[in-house]
Amino acid sequence: MMARTAVGNPALSMRVLLPALSVICCMIFSGVLYAQPQADVETEPAVKKAQDAIAQPAAVEQAAEAVDAELEAILKKNTRCLRCHTKDKSKTLENGEELSLKIHGDDYTSSAHGEIACVSCHEAIGNRRHPSKKTNITIASKRDYSLEMNQSCRQCHDKKFTQYDGSIHASLVAQGSDNAPLCTDCHSAHAVERMRDFRAETGYPCKKCHENIYTAYSASVHGSARSTGNVIRDEHILAPICSDCHNSHGVAAVEIGDTLRSQCFGCHENVPLLHSQWLPNAGKHLDIVSCAVCHAPFAKHRFDLHFYDNEAQTPVGNQEGHEAFQQKLKLMEEEEGGIDPLEVWKLIEETTKDSPSSISLRGRLEVSSGIWAHQIAPKSFAVRTCDSCHLPGHRQRMGVTVSVPQAGGTVRKFDTGGVDLTSVGTDDSTSKFFGVQSIKSKLLDIMALLAFIAGIAIPVGHYTLGQMIKEKVVMGEE
Amino acid sequence: MVNIQSEKERIESWKKARKAELYINPLPVRIWHWLNALGFIILILSGTQLRYPNLFNVMSFETAVRTHNWVAFAVIANYCVWLGFYLFSDRITVYHPELNPKKFFDKAFAQMRYYGYGIFRGESSPHKVRPYDKFNPMQSITYQIVMLLVVPAQFFTGLLMWDVKRFESWIAFLGGIEVIGTVHVLIYIFFLAFTSVHAYMGALGRSPATHFREMFTGYEEEH
Repeated sequence: MMARTAVGNPALSMRVLLPALSVICCMIFSGVLYAQPQADVETEPAVKKAQDAIAQPAAVEQAAEAVDAELEAILKKNTRCLRCHTKDKSKTLENGEELSLKIHGDDYTSSAHGEIACVSCHEAIGNRRHPSKKTNITIASKRDYSLEMNQSCRQCHDKKFTQYDGSIHASLVAQGSDNAPLCTDCHSAHAVERMRDFRAETGYPCKKCHENIYTAYSASVHGSARSTGNVIRDEHILAPICSDCHNSHGVAAVEIGDTLRSQCFGCHENVPLLHSQWLPNAGKHLDIVSCAVCHAPFAKHRFDLHFYDNEAQTPVGNQEGHEAFQQKLKLMEEEEGGIDPLEVWKLIEETTKDSPSSISLRGRLEVSSGIWAHQIAPKSFAVRTCDSCHLPGHRQRMGVTVSVPQAGGTVRKFDTGGVDLTSVGTDDSTSKFFGVQSIKSKLLDIMALLAFIAGIAIPVGHYTLGQMIKEKVVMGEE
Repeated sequence: MVNIQSEKERIESWKKARKAELYINPLPVRIWHWLNALGFIILILSGTQLRYPNLFNVMSFETAVRTHNWVAFAVIANYCVWLGFYLFSDRITVYHPELNPKKFFDKAFAQMRYYGYGIFRGESSPHKVRPYDKFNPMQSITYQIVMLLVVPAQFFTGLLMWDVKRFESWIAFLGGIEVIGTVHVLIYIFFLAFTSVHAYMGALGRSPATHFREMFTGYEEEH
């Protein structure tokens, strides 16, 4: 009798092979899962060792013991620090501020950094180098100390720190701002929490500095959807919070160019199609009108102009190659107390006359403040009437600003005091924000008036001439 | 009592007169002409509202834009009727200009004298309207420029501005939206005067209604 092998018997082979395959798949899947880094969090050394150990099952027990020992050593060291630093101690800084040296032990040990040695960040203060009255460390101010300590975050969080380096916050810090946030301003110094553990709808930490904007946001369609737990469109997409549009570490201003529009379109990808179904010249409108202009229905508007280097494809500002322009711009502002786009236009022509790059003036219709930009209303409230922008006088009611990007991503806005964008002089400069009535020119208006008069005068004149000739003929005949 | 004899005479004389009429404007031309006239009036009015809403405001801006766009496309389609008819008809000769400069200027001067003086003295027009020679030399050259250059330019610039984003590269190639917009407005200015003068000249027939009636029936009196 022939042996019934798994290969020879299809039913048996299915019963045996399927579970075997399932087990193999589970093992591979588990391996892949464990091999994946957990989100963006850069793993701490002890945890990493544990993970390495998991990847090599044979060494699990040994590694666990090593990790436990290492952790124990760290906690011992930390306990030694906390023995003094849980007491009310402070240090008088050079500027007279009192720097508290007290650490809330529980806050620290239960924080995201709870298993990290104090000296990992406070490298300058080793066990044998602890400052004493003899080796007193002088600290200018709390801000100075925070600035110094800020660099220690880079040791483990290099990727995030690099993003922060390119942010508007870091740029403000570099410019000497005392209010621009450092790592600890958002994450706190010792009670370090992962931001993903925060309830985003509370507005923390952005609200600390941007309270007005947060209030506007929380009343918006996005803020209210987020706070009530409503999801947008489908169960996986939550309404956006600050970092969804502005980034969490590489915080950026969304004022010049297509950044803001791209952020909106990121979630509302069918916007061009929906608008093209009813909005004349939808493509151009979406290019030159900020979303908030119509979707924050009570917002005041302004024209924001910026100069664009067509060769480099960047806005003209305080970046490499435009230093002369920027210097003259500052002089102009200091001397005249404001800025006139037409004069800036001439300035650009002067500064680039020997350069091959061509520069154009671009403009966008924006809301007049960042607060309005965040007060997005539900779709049913959005402005759908053309008259709200295209009626005469609308433009005259708007302010006009000239935006000049600064190094580090900030944008400096110069108020023009309301330049007349409909004059002949601005015809050349309206190439990128042309709208109906944009090419107002007195010459064309006069020509239109003359044509209108001619349309009446020629018939009336000809008819009158005819009557006069007829009368003459009749009189001659008589 | 009805005078039967005089009634018969009247019918006979009408028939004779009818025979003396020439079929100048075939049906496609008449359809094109009146639809075009209606379209131009709507385009001029809606265009005026778009450009000068503070002076002329009879509808919402949105209605003005939509009306302007839809009517413009209808006028373009209607233009194709005109173009198609003349391209495939021997009547295209009506647009052939007088190429002999001396003859042209002589005829043009005679025509100008007629409109400036002779017409008021009851003289007949120096140009005899015929089915294959409908226009006087001035009309011939004017309409040729208008229909083959000015009107297509207006259609083209209007089309580019209808969807600025879609035709972005064309617009940039032609010098930017200011150039396109200015050309469109200049042609609008031209038609502002042209339409009015054209309608007035239409009233310079034997009676003010003569040419209008002729443009509806297609027949014109032979003279």
